[in-house]
Amino acid sequence: MKKKTIIFMLIMSLMAGMLVACGKSSDDVVNTEAGRTTLIVGFDAEFKPYGYKDENGEYVGFDLDLAEEVCERNGWNLVKQPIDWASKDMELNSNSIDCIWNGFTLNGRETDYTWTDAYVDNSQVVVVKSNSGIRELTDLADKNVIVQADSSALAALAGEDASEDNKALRSTFKELQQVGDYNSAFMNLEAGAADAICMDIGVAKYEIEARGNDFMMLPDTISSEEYGVGFKLGNTSLRDAVLETLYEMVEDGTYAQISDKWDLSDFACLGNEGTSTAKELDAMAATTKDESFLEKFADIAGQLLSGVGASLLIFILTLCFSLPLGLLICAGRRSKIKPVAWLVKFYISIMRGTPLMLQLLVVFFGPFYVFGWSLSTSYRFYAVIIGFTLNYAAYFAEIYRSGVEAVPVGQHEAAQVLGYTKIQTFWKVTFPQMVKHVMPPVTNEVITLVKDTSLAFVLAYTEMFTLAKQVAASQASIMPLFIAGLFYYIFNYVVAFIMERIEKKLAYYK
Amino acid sequence: MSILEINKLKKSFDGIEVLKDISLKVKEGEVVSIIGPSGSGKSTLLRCATLLEKMDEGSLLYCDEVAVKDVGGATIYAPKNELRHIKEYFGLVFQNYNLFPHLSVMKNICDAPISVQKRDKEEVKQEAERLLEKMGLEDKKEAYPFQLSGGQRQRVAIARALAMNPKMLFFDEPTSALDPELTQEVLKVLKDLAKDKMTMVIVTHEIEFARNISDRVIFMDGGVIIEEGTPSEVIENPSNERTKSFLTKMKV
Repeated sequence: MKKKTIIFMLIMSLMAGMLVACGKSSDDVVNTEAGRTTLIVGFDAEFKPYGYKDENGEYVGFDLDLAEEVCERNGWNLVKQPIDWASKDMELNSNSIDCIWNGFTLNGRETDYTWTDAYVDNSQVVVVKSNSGIRELTDLADKNVIVQADSSALAALAGEDASEDNKALRSTFKELQQVGDYNSAFMNLEAGAADAICMDIGVAKYEIEARGNDFMMLPDTISSEEYGVGFKLGNTSLRDAVLETLYEMVEDGTYAQISDKWDLSDFACLGNEGTSTAKELDAMAATTKDESFLEKFADIAGQLLSGVGASLLIFILTLCFSLPLGLLICAGRRSKIKPVAWLVKFYISIMRGTPLMLQLLVVFFGPFYVFGWSLSTSYRFYAVIIGFTLNYAAYFAEIYRSGVEAVPVGQHEAAQVLGYTKIQTFWKVTFPQMVKHVMPPVTNEVITLVKDTSLAFVLAYTEMFTLAKQVAASQASIMPLFIAGLFYYIFNYVVAFIMERIEKKLAYYK
Repeated sequence: MSILEINKLKKSFDGIEVLKDISLKVKEGEVVSIIGPSGSGKSTLLRCATLLEKMDEGSLLYCDEVAVKDVGGATIYAPKNELRHIKEYFGLVFQNYNLFPHLSVMKNICDAPISVQKRDKEEVKQEAERLLEKMGLEDKKEAYPFQLSGGQRQRVAIARALAMNPKMLFFDEPTSALDPELTQEVLKVLKDLAKDKMTMVIVTHEIEFARNISDRVIFMDGGVIIEEGTPSEVIENPSNERTKSFLTKMKV
């Protein structure tokens, strides 16, 4: 026990050390621009028309065209690096990418990055189904509205700096949900799980054009915001080089030409009067005060705690349903009725052979895409539990099966001769021995489940890890992710402790 | 009245006939030993008689109640509830004891009488204590099987079978897994049972023991009964060549 405590303390201090390291903002800038040969641009590959994957599998878009031109003029090689939007800060801070150039809203993030001048003036609009009857913002009362996690729309409606008008509007919604990307936002809208999407105007125009007449944009916009190219805080030399080239492109008309190509002329604003400039933004960044490490830690931990309950709920409900269901499936798998055994075997192979994430999507969206049933919002949570339960029950069933088969045949024969019925034999003889056999693999699965709860994010169910990613994005810090890791570790430490106790309890016989 | 009656029993595994036309009657209080080389079908005979293995042909009766009927080369088993009743007539002691490892000695013995025969808990417990005393294991009541020696385990297994109050007991090589000295303590229990006029069918390799304890000895080989009679007839003066050669080998 003592040894374990020491190891535990060691790991804790290690993690704390990493957190301190993360908390420090980086003032060492690596690249001097003279020797630069490449520019690595990070972008979310699903953000049309700024940067996305087209039908031919190429990464294209307005921002990437601009970047291409800038690189050409500087003699750099452009590397298009698709990133997970939630980890953009880690990518940037670790120098895996040089900048985020992807319809990146600078409002609200002024002090988190070193920015170029604003080059796109963007507004948030609301997209609804054409036949929904929603025609203006007031129609959104009591409706489910969906936004991309950590998007400008979310910040505009529910962020710290949201305007009073927007806050009032948000309070009329039935619910404001978050999804990982626009594709699933449209899937939610199509399936009836959401009534409206709030998103960037440029993206909305593009998506509606691509998807046809089923969707429309409401005429009223929500708030105005600006896009800039974001560099690691302090990396002014690279920013200056890029910005200078951009202004050259404005001068000779290339900038306007590229804006036209992507139908964004109305929004392109580089050099316009009244837009944010790098100078102003640098000044804002210089005046921010540092929060102490402990304050920051406590603040983030507090925010994550609200997600712990959700993760715990998934964990407990999944175990409550999948542990017994696994027994039933195990019985089916061992059934003497051949079609039943085959069917169950097929089910298990599907559950084990495909990603859990995909299964969750199928459980949630399946009823709509297969049967055309419209989805209710509360189904989101049920879908998470059903998906997890079906998947874990399949794994438990196979573990149980190995446990049942490890019970010697002589045990069944002894029970049979003593006159036990089949049901008595199972519960009195097979089951207790099976439980002992399966404890180590079941512990493994349970621990995996703790971590798998984070997959609920694909159904926009806000559990702890989703929350951590959102907080990380909004604070431009990776500390929330480490704190989330700490939570998972403690969670699993408790789980392992309990399972160990149970195993010890079962060690009364050999 | 015969406790056990087997008529024209046949049994094959994957087309290989293991038992060819076996008939056997055991009277109340009789002790019958079955000897013979490995693979002669002794154990299969016991497993068919205890309903662990399905008979292909022939009939099986306990106390004149039909468990298995022969209908022109096929078998019909009695309905479930009748079989459950018939199962109470006999008990079986395995070579590997097959005690329940997760239950204490006391629970191993008491559970089936309580949950299968629905007998009174207190009465069953008292009987179990009496049986353990008879087996010389009264201090092992709360022990778990893994804490016992092989001989002790086998004696618990015998007590477990006796707690069901069967009319007869089958023993499938009860001492084959034991050291010679542990063998003796189990054989002593069997002798005591024989003295108490317990009806028993014992498959064994202990020729000496079979001679001492049995009213009748059966020699099996190749799935048939080659010779049967009193111990002096079969063991001391065998008439069949195969019996003779088997006994010679066993004496070496």
